[in-house]
Amino acid sequence: MSSVLEFENITKEYHSLLGRKRFRALDNFTLQVEKGEIFGFLGPNGAGKTTAIHLAMGFMRPTAGRGFMLGHRFGRYAARRGVGFLPENIALYPRSAETLVRFYGALNKMGGSQLTRRADEVLSMVGLQDDAKRNISRFSRGMLQRVGLAQALVNDPELLILDEPTSALDPVARVTVREILLAARNAGKTIFLSSHLLSEVELICDRVAVLHRGKLVRMGRTAELLQAGERAEIALRGLSPQVFPGAVLHHGLLTLSVPATEQRSTLERIWSLGGEVISVNPSRRSLEEIFLEATGGAAAPHVGPEP
Amino acid sequence: MKQIILIAINFVREQRWPILVLLLWVLALAFLGLATDAGRQREDLLFVFKQVAVYVVAFSVFFGSSAIYNDRRSRRILSVLSKAIRRGQYLAGLVLGITLSCAIYCFALGLTGSWTLGEAGFPASQVWFLMLCLVAACALAGSVALTFSTFLNPFFAAGATAAVMALPAMISYTMGSAKWGYVVPVYQLAATVLKSSFEAPGTPEWLPIFVALAQAAGFLLLSVRIFSYADIAVSVE
Repeated sequence: MSSVLEFENITKEYHSLLGRKRFRALDNFTLQVEKGEIFGFLGPNGAGKTTAIHLAMGFMRPTAGRGFMLGHRFGRYAARRGVGFLPENIALYPRSAETLVRFYGALNKMGGSQLTRRADEVLSMVGLQDDAKRNISRFSRGMLQRVGLAQALVNDPELLILDEPTSALDPVARVTVREILLAARNAGKTIFLSSHLLSEVELICDRVAVLHRGKLVRMGRTAELLQAGERAEIALRGLSPQVFPGAVLHHGLLTLSVPATEQRSTLERIWSLGGEVISVNPSRRSLEEIFLEATGGAAAPHVGPEP
Repeated sequence: MKQIILIAINFVREQRWPILVLLLWVLALAFLGLATDAGRQREDLLFVFKQVAVYVVAFSVFFGSSAIYNDRRSRRILSVLSKAIRRGQYLAGLVLGITLSCAIYCFALGLTGSWTLGEAGFPASQVWFLMLCLVAACALAGSVALTFSTFLNPFFAAGATAAVMALPAMISYTMGSAKWGYVVPVYQLAATVLKSSFEAPGTPEWLPIFVALAQAAGFLLLSVRIFSYADIAVSVE
């Protein structure tokens, strides 16, 4: 697989007017997004996610390091022709949804009947076909978000960069966006998705990265990260709590939690010591737990399992 | 070129309400001029026409100094510059949009001026040349203001533009050197309008117009250079 988006040791610092105060938004940040995947980009507020996206789009220059998007250095306009971008809290000119989508398509060198057809198509995709002629100044925030998604999709981009695409959407619209993104991935497109909605990310992302204070603190395949956190809760009786440090004795039952990989050996040990297993319950960690763990006490960057 | 025109038309569309107000103002003044005894108060009429005409230079400075700022503050610039458009094309589109907005005003003023000054007995054949002088002055003033607005907020950008426009004119006046008048010749072009008597046919001076347009292109190139280093996601305050 080839990288469509690549950050190489990028550092970005913001300065105050006289340069006395400095804030490091990204610190030696390295990341590669492969072709045809949905990549979830997570992090708490102020982690540097939007800065990374703005660097990729060429809105700002890195203090150090470099990056490539669709084979071009960040900031090259040729790369943006194959990119669809939805900024966080999108702001658009007050026009009809149809005029706006055509305007953004025309900026991407589209025109004629191809643009008209594509504009109608993307507005239908986001469920705005009946409101296409209405001025967006009368739209709700969720509808604006959908117009934003339509303008990002209008040029049929190879790479979609979405900053909080579902933050203002109701559950039905969220499902629609999810379906659009999955259809895009199935069509071979790459999606770089920054979001706070971890349940959404868990559902659709092939890989995730967690950014904290400008540093990458977790990265890996979503399934593997979740699997790595799987545990088993075992309830038993007939053994002393001293046999398993950390086990809890409650109403005569001893309960202990072990990693899923140690479940079999633990059960064999219980049986060999003469204990009786009452129940075994698998407990799967959510992405939220992984996220909290990564950002709560992230002292050293850790890169998780990779294929 | 298509992108430049798109940005320019979009700018004019964004400024449609201020432009409409200015057009109504021009129209209202024209009716006021006709309502008075144009034959008797012809000098007053000429004075008002000249004053109203040169105001357009100030409008171009306001348009130029606030164009980028408004797009950055509203974050609309992000969705525009995320497309296959160079920053230079975006700035060229803004300069064209500013010039078009001022040209609409000058066109309306040319129409009403020909009408009212004609009624007052002035030979109005020079009006369109004077309007062309103003459009050239606006293109230059707008591009100077846009250049400063790439790194200053609108208030300071407008102030810096006023200083850059006034300084060569002041040097030219105090030193008595006509050459300084060709450095950012906004004042020289405005003075052509202000000093026009409409009595003698005169020979139109085209050189300041060409110089102004060339310098507008020069300032545009300078603004592109400066803007290429700007973090556009961070607003200028």
